[in-house]
Amino acid sequence: MIDHLDVMMPWVLLSGGILITLLVSVIRVDTKRPAQISAVITLLATLISCLGLLQYPAESVFSGLVEVSPLTHFILALFSAIGILFILGGDRYLNKEGLHLSDYYHLLLILILGASALTCSKDLVVTFISLEVMSLPAYTLTGFRRNDSRSNEAAIKYYILGGAIGAVFLLGTSFMFGATGSTNLNTIFTWSQSGHSDMVLFGMGHLLILIAFMFKVAAAPFHFWKPDVYEGAPTPVTGIMATVVTTAAFVTLVRLIHLVDFNNANWAAYAVTVKHFIRWMAALSLIVGSAVIITQKNLKRMLAYSSISHTGYLLLGVLGSLGKGEEIQSVMIYLFGYTLMTSGIFALMSQSEPKADTGIELIDLTGLMKRSPIQTVLWSIFLFSMAGMPFTVGFFTKYFVFMSSIGSGETPLVVLAALCTVVSAYAYMRPIALMVMRDADPTAANWNSGFWSQIVAVAAAAGVVFLGVMPNAMIQYLKGIPLIH
Amino acid sequence: METSSSLSFLLTLPLIGVLIAWVMPKAVQRLYAIFGSALFLALTVYETSGLLFAKSADLAKTFVVDQKLSWVPEIGFSLSLRLDSVSAWFVVLNTLVALVAFSLRGVWYRKYPRLFTSFGFFLVFALNAAFLSTDLITFYLAYEAVFIPMIFMVGIWGEKQKAASVLRFFIMSFLGSILMLVSIFYLIYLNHEASGIYSAQITDLIHFAQTQDPVKLCWPFMGFFAAFAIKVPLVPFHGWLKDVYTNAPMPGTIWMSGILSKLGVIGMIRFVLPLFPQTAAMHQGWLVTLAAVSIVYAALLAIRSNDGKSLLAYSSISHLGFVMLGIFSLKSNGITAAILLSVGHTLVSALLFFLYHQVEERQAELSLESPHGLAPLYPVLFVSMFVSVLASVSLPGTLNFGGEFLVLLNAYPVSALCTILSGLGVILGAVYMLKFYQQLGLGSDSQKPKISGVITKDIGAYDLVLVLMLISVIIYGGLQPAMFLKGN
Repeated sequence: MIDHLDVMMPWVLLSGGILITLLVSVIRVDTKRPAQISAVITLLATLISCLGLLQYPAESVFSGLVEVSPLTHFILALFSAIGILFILGGDRYLNKEGLHLSDYYHLLLILILGASALTCSKDLVVTFISLEVMSLPAYTLTGFRRNDSRSNEAAIKYYILGGAIGAVFLLGTSFMFGATGSTNLNTIFTWSQSGHSDMVLFGMGHLLILIAFMFKVAAAPFHFWKPDVYEGAPTPVTGIMATVVTTAAFVTLVRLIHLVDFNNANWAAYAVTVKHFIRWMAALSLIVGSAVIITQKNLKRMLAYSSISHTGYLLLGVLGSLGKGEEIQSVMIYLFGYTLMTSGIFALMSQSEPKADTGIELIDLTGLMKRSPIQTVLWSIFLFSMAGMPFTVGFFTKYFVFMSSIGSGETPLVVLAALCTVVSAYAYMRPIALMVMRDADPTAANWNSGFWSQIVAVAAAAGVVFLGVMPNAMIQYLKGIPLIH
Repeated sequence: METSSSLSFLLTLPLIGVLIAWVMPKAVQRLYAIFGSALFLALTVYETSGLLFAKSADLAKTFVVDQKLSWVPEIGFSLSLRLDSVSAWFVVLNTLVALVAFSLRGVWYRKYPRLFTSFGFFLVFALNAAFLSTDLITFYLAYEAVFIPMIFMVGIWGEKQKAASVLRFFIMSFLGSILMLVSIFYLIYLNHEASGIYSAQITDLIHFAQTQDPVKLCWPFMGFFAAFAIKVPLVPFHGWLKDVYTNAPMPGTIWMSGILSKLGVIGMIRFVLPLFPQTAAMHQGWLVTLAAVSIVYAALLAIRSNDGKSLLAYSSISHLGFVMLGIFSLKSNGITAAILLSVGHTLVSALLFFLYHQVEERQAELSLESPHGLAPLYPVLFVSMFVSVLASVSLPGTLNFGGEFLVLLNAYPVSALCTILSGLGVILGAVYMLKFYQQLGLGSDSQKPKISGVITKDIGAYDLVLVLMLISVIIYGGLQPAMFLKGN
């Protein structure tokens, strides 16, 4: 293990930091400041050590249980950056909501640890453990607003469904183990390259595992938990879930889909099944996401349905990649762009101070242009990016998934996706219309831009516009790192 | 003339205009916008004069400028621009329309004036980019960039039902442009499969499309057609137009009817016809029918309207139907006539909306149900109005006459029935335009007009100069249409 200490350094730092943060939060129960500082320092150290390791080649560690690669380092760096942004940007929100609990910080760190471990696991058992390490803090953080019944409801819902889906994943794992005699992903892939009699058992196991992850990324029809959880969880936690958890689950989903060698003639029939499976999931997610988003009045629920439709676009990218390893970059580019705009939007959301107890409603945005022109510009940039307008990163993310699925003959699905883009664009334009055209409603929330959340939002908006105008560096870099290996 | 500098100047100068708007004091925004756009118009005419006033098509070709900037080489995105005798006209018109729109007085110079001026200059920039582009991606980007200031313009300074109309406008336009985008992606992909390079250059794609089966290109054709048919608009796609035109602030209406609609025209001429010549020929029957139906149906709607703005909006659809008829004749003479007519339509509709705004400033309640009898009070204004009404009904000697005549001439061999139907549209045009003038200007002797506007004087000297300038171009063009007919 000592051999790999250099490449594992970020995870060592992160785990050490979690213990220190936990200790600090136990010593100083009365204030959250020490735990917060400790968490930020931990994430900064992790970020820096990850950035230092970006050029390292992929390396298999812990006797093949885990593989660290430029991708996993990049993702952990991204997660740490997001973590720092949300800790700083969410500070004001937590104070406002009276969540002066230092446990928040080490739970957040554990969530990031689990998510990043998920992306580098090369074994189904490790995948399951990381999945739970990621999910348990997520359940807890969802219910963090203890005095709010919606938060409690969301946490219980998320926990029960998440636990059940964990069992589905384990069932799939056991089927796969029964068929192949191994839980190691490389061994399973090698096994799949030759013909076997246990292909049905394997296929069932594989589909169960995919279903478990489809639940995690909230592809319709496994999406019902998402709006409730988004609404119930504290805003920064929702932001973390929308970015970190989605990215980790998607990267793993892509890896698990490609457990089977789709170019192999033995799997031709199964490849058709998987394609159908993903195609239906993508179509349903797109339709449900973009149709229901129109009817939503609560901003967080809106973003939940928006993320469901984004899952649909991501599945389009996955579909385009089946059997063509190099095309998978579209998913990575989409995830990166989506993460950027979602971080910005949640930073803005955490600035609201609603007067009613119903959470942030669309009506709270009315007349924002008069009250705060800068916020209006920021909101507009993020919403335009979500709708996929040019000159924002959202245009290029859509370009890549569309191109990759046109390339694999999914043109009708791309047309459906394009039509869904129009439908959901209506929902994204409505907040802008309210901000610009209406005078402030008397019940509208106050928007107080805290220093840090404003910095996060401005930085994210600058990133969204910059990558929309000059995407060259992002494309080159993300094309350079292999997603599956 | 230094070649590539003229292109970058056409794009950078409006952007500089946007920036200057934010340092100018709020009180002088109108003055700044007028001077800025007038200066830009003079420079644009000077730069493009070689193309505009060339004696022959061959001579004009020597002034054509091409420029290509690499943007995202990994996926073949580049910015390719081309200034030729077609785009030169649209670029000049674009600036002229901006000058007219900026000259209007109204709420937009009181509420967020800097934002208005900078949106205006940004529109000039984006429209110039769209008119000059010879690359599908560049065109798409410019096409979308036009929407954003337009949406905000209607949203911020619009009238009563602005929210609903702006959302409808956005959704319809976005629907068209996203279908076009998918078609563009599909073409890029097919071209990549065939030649191994990613390119959205129109020259590459035309080269590739010639080798394809026209039936296979039917869907991409439909994607492009949907985008432009919504933008122009042709009749079944015109649902968004009336509400947006009537609820938009007047400069927005002038921009939309004058020049945004020409995005669809140039898109058809520059991209659809060269890319899908055979596919278009396959569908020519219903395309021509659609254009003819647009002309007559919109004219009938215009006759029924009781609001000046919506009457002018429908008349705009009707005239653009002629432009599309010329394009769908699929003859180079028909397309040239369509360009001539779209120049005429831009000038006439900008002029009519401009003058209608002047009338609105003088009389708040302007229903066309009853006569107002305003002409005796504002003789100069209404003489100009009468001249522009005559220009709009294509009186011989005005720019529209030559255009409509040549369009009908070229459409006749394609479909005699549609041409006759369209000819009916010319007569209906006279009906509603004369009604428009009659109800505003004339009235019964017994009834004294009630004055309820903010202004009580006749049209001012500056406005008159602007109007005379437009009218003289219309009449000069009507007497010398050869200037516009050099071919492309």
